[in-house]
Amino acid sequence: MKRMLLILALCAPASAQAACYADYKAKQDNPLRLHYGVAEITGPCTVDSARAALSGRLSANGWTLLNVVSVFDASGLGERKASAGPYFLRF
Amino acid sequence: MPDPTSSASDAALARRTGGRIVTWGLVAIVALLILAGALLLLTLPDAGAFNARVERIFIENDDLTAQAEIKLLEILAQSGTAFAETLASYRMVIFVLLVFATALLVAALVFLVMLVTLNRRMAQIERSGIQVSSLIISREENTVYLNTMGFKLTEAMMETLAVLAEARLDDEMLTGAQIEAVISGRSESDCEEAAGATRIKRLRDGLGNQLVSELLVKNIARRGYVLAIDKGVIEVI
Repeated sequence: MKRMLLILALCAPASAQAACYADYKAKQDNPLRLHYGVAEITGPCTVDSARAALSGRLSANGWTLLNVVSVFDASGLGERKASAGPYFLRF
Repeated sequence: MPDPTSSASDAALARRTGGRIVTWGLVAIVALLILAGALLLLTLPDAGAFNARVERIFIENDDLTAQAEIKLLEILAQSGTAFAETLASYRMVIFVLLVFATALLVAALVFLVMLVTLNRRMAQIERSGIQVSSLIISREENTVYLNTMGFKLTEAMMETLAVLAEARLDDEMLTGAQIEAVISGRSESDCEEAAGATRIKRLRDGLGNQLVSELLVKNIARRGYVLAIDKGVIEVI
């Protein structure tokens, strides 16, 4: 995880466009499982594009996207890392 | 004394009415059961209802993001699901009790109708004094069996009784002269009314119990003699 962050931190200034992240809520049925996660978004940095990108990524892993809470740039990552836990930048 | 023949048909009418009441009662009870069962199955929430509620809470509250909180929500949903399973078994128990209640209701209704019918029948029996449920004429033994009582008769009395029984089976009435004519084989115009009346008197005497014979061999004024029993109970062997 730390190495990934390091790579991200190295990559972020290199790219011309600011990195875009979204935090979301997803579920699995029978039994009901919930998670809150953070994921990187490619493309336009809006809630709609994040929803479109994430629902595909999550359903490939057996999760259903419930909603996208917000989109933010790299500065918002730190405060959400603890909450997202294992789902921090996983999908 | 009321005519037992017409009271028998009254009883049949009462039985038919009773049958209708029973049918409607059964239909009402079964309809009630189906209604209650449908309500039971439709109104109780299923396991998904709890999960959906927890999911909504999760979506609507943006600050519910900490891992501990999410874990708590999951536990909440699981306990809801467990409760729903308990509810399903309760539903089963209630259903079985409903079926039992229906069976008891049906039995109670049937017994109630039976009680009413029996009461009516008892009242009729009390009115008529004796109810002849079987009349067996045994020519070999020269005996007539009334219900369970056997009465030994002479040959002549048996003839008279047999003639009356045959006439009853044909729904006919016989005058004294006709009775005499049938037994003696002469034409009716040659026979006297008094001869037939004597045969009837002898039969009544022979049956011994004046009350029983009065009830059994009826004399209708200006029409003749008839056995005052339902013709369905007569059997000649």
